[in-house]
Amino acid sequence: MIPSLTREDLKIIGYNLRNAFYITGVFLLVPIVVAAVYREFNTVPYFLIGSALAFIIGNLLSFFLRTEKEMEVKHAIVMVALAWLIAPLLASIPIWLANATASYLDAGFEAISGFTGTGLTVATGIDYMSHSINFLRHFLQFVGDGVGILVISLSILGRTEMSSVLAFKGESKDVGIRPSVVRTSRIIIGIAVTFLIIGTVLFTIAGIREGLDPGTAVFDGLNHSMTGYATGGFSTHSQNLLYYHSILFEVVAVILMIIGALNFNLHYAVLGGKRKEILKNIEVKVLLFWLLATGLIVSANLLNTNVYSSVEALFRKGVFHAISAQTTTGFQTVYPSHFALVWPALSIFVLSIAMIVGGSANSTSGGIKMLRVGVLFKSFKREVKRLLLPRSAVVTGSFHHIEDTPLTDKVVAGAALVAISYIVFFSIGTMITAAHGYSLEDSMFETSSALGNVGLSCGITSPAMPATLKVTYMFLMWAGRLEIIAVLVLMGFVILGLRRGIKK
Amino acid sequence: MNWKVCFLLVLLLMLAMPLASAESGRELIENSSGYDGKTVSFRGEVIGVMIRDDFAWVNLLDNEGYAIGIWCPAENAKAILFIGDYSHVGDSVQVAGTFHMACAEHGGDLDIHAENFIIVATGQEVDRPTNLPIAALGVALMAVAILMTFYLRRIRKEKQKILPWPSY
Repeated sequence: MIPSLTREDLKIIGYNLRNAFYITGVFLLVPIVVAAVYREFNTVPYFLIGSALAFIIGNLLSFFLRTEKEMEVKHAIVMVALAWLIAPLLASIPIWLANATASYLDAGFEAISGFTGTGLTVATGIDYMSHSINFLRHFLQFVGDGVGILVISLSILGRTEMSSVLAFKGESKDVGIRPSVVRTSRIIIGIAVTFLIIGTVLFTIAGIREGLDPGTAVFDGLNHSMTGYATGGFSTHSQNLLYYHSILFEVVAVILMIIGALNFNLHYAVLGGKRKEILKNIEVKVLLFWLLATGLIVSANLLNTNVYSSVEALFRKGVFHAISAQTTTGFQTVYPSHFALVWPALSIFVLSIAMIVGGSANSTSGGIKMLRVGVLFKSFKREVKRLLLPRSAVVTGSFHHIEDTPLTDKVVAGAALVAISYIVFFSIGTMITAAHGYSLEDSMFETSSALGNVGLSCGITSPAMPATLKVTYMFLMWAGRLEIIAVLVLMGFVILGLRRGIKK
Repeated sequence: MNWKVCFLLVLLLMLAMPLASAESGRELIENSSGYDGKTVSFRGEVIGVMIRDDFAWVNLLDNEGYAIGIWCPAENAKAILFIGDYSHVGDSVQVAGTFHMACAEHGGDLDIHAENFIIVATGQEVDRPTNLPIAALGVALMAVAILMTFYLRRIRKEKQKILPWPSY
């Protein structure tokens, strides 16, 4: 029987949540540097208010809920799920105060979309947005999805106890790079910063070459590098990457999107000299297969229906969006309404599947993840083999992911559980969207984009969309980022508290 | 009426016609197949300029929030004084040109190749004053947060210093 909730449980969760408040408070101070550079001093108070509130609440939690008791698994999962709600709630304050959105709900939507690395936007007047608020949107994607809120807090606070390991896992990050979580989190940050610098340099060169003034090239380069690596998809312009009309810019984006969609462990292994790992790793093989299949089907379909005819157009529209969907980035070079009105149904369907399947586990991508898809494929193959062989035969299986791992029933069940959860949430989200009067095709596309933390839009997501749909997508983005299970545990926690009350 | 006045009137009429019949960005984007290859008129505020050799991309944003890329001669782009952003209202431009739903020359981008490019209004700088009550609130809250951090830390340290009374 599941034990009832106690006040101590709530105290443990509340006390450990303080780090999420503190780290969000620090995040909200960073855009002040951008405000100073661009002399946008009128925006500074917005960040001060958001940051101060984060520190005040964090202090209160730290003082009144102080406990020496260690977190258990249930505490860690609930704490992580709540942290991913609280951080956007605080980050939405400057966005709302700056009038970057039409309402506080929209500001919350924008912040959740940022932190979860989704990229769906309801911001109004992105082209007139202050540099500091625009930077904040991109920065949220980098720290939220590119690295992870708790990964950063662990690396700064240097905590090594069991609770840190649990929190780390709750944020869908693997602890396996190095034995210590602190060391691992610092490696993840190191990898992210390395690619951020490389991406910024490449985007800046591309921008200057394509006619941007150097200041804009650096600012846009930094922001797109943050959202490209984080597979986030926010852009500094309302036209997204179409603004640049540049194949060079799109090629740099493709490189960053693919790097972001690869496993941190793989980056670490390759950077450590294990280059053959790229060829042997199950996730890389499955990701390449899906990218190739999605790109080919979408391009062939677009060619066949005469939407685009030249090879360059098929790459810049077909292949580009296949990569953007598969890596769950959401960079877009066509108008949202073109997905709904011009693109053929097969392409929309294939992109929807790609968005739900997603990139690699322990990467910046969302979705079910390639490792799980690979494991499920292997288990299907094993089952078929088992049925073909005599009953006395023992059928085993394994897969290579950094090291050779046996394909046990536990591994397969874990992968299947997450995949089924995604399919259930996708179906519910699609039904809710369709119930608002949108076509089934568009509903599938937008729901998979929200749940897979992608950001490609066929035009449903806008400031004018119904509030109920905004809340639905906010929930899907949050659930998708936490790989659903953490959300279910939090729901169980709340139901338990409501049914049995909270004991002393 | 002398011929100079007639010429001026005709010229004014020619300039005014595209102004009156400019399509909206929404109309062009959502019904793009109907306008593909046709001459259209579009008016918007400049939000981006990128000069590429003898030509340039000028991104125009209409008053409904729809932006379209205009491919025009570089000298048109060079005449633009203000690009719209947080601190500026961009020049207002009216173009007439060939609309492409998926331009074969530009990798499938939706664009307009300008044949007629007129700057109808010059932009300006925008003053963004600080909201003083909000600024005061921000400073006050930050001061509270900092004082609270030090005060609570001090109390915690004092609590840790007090040894528990021995119990027998």
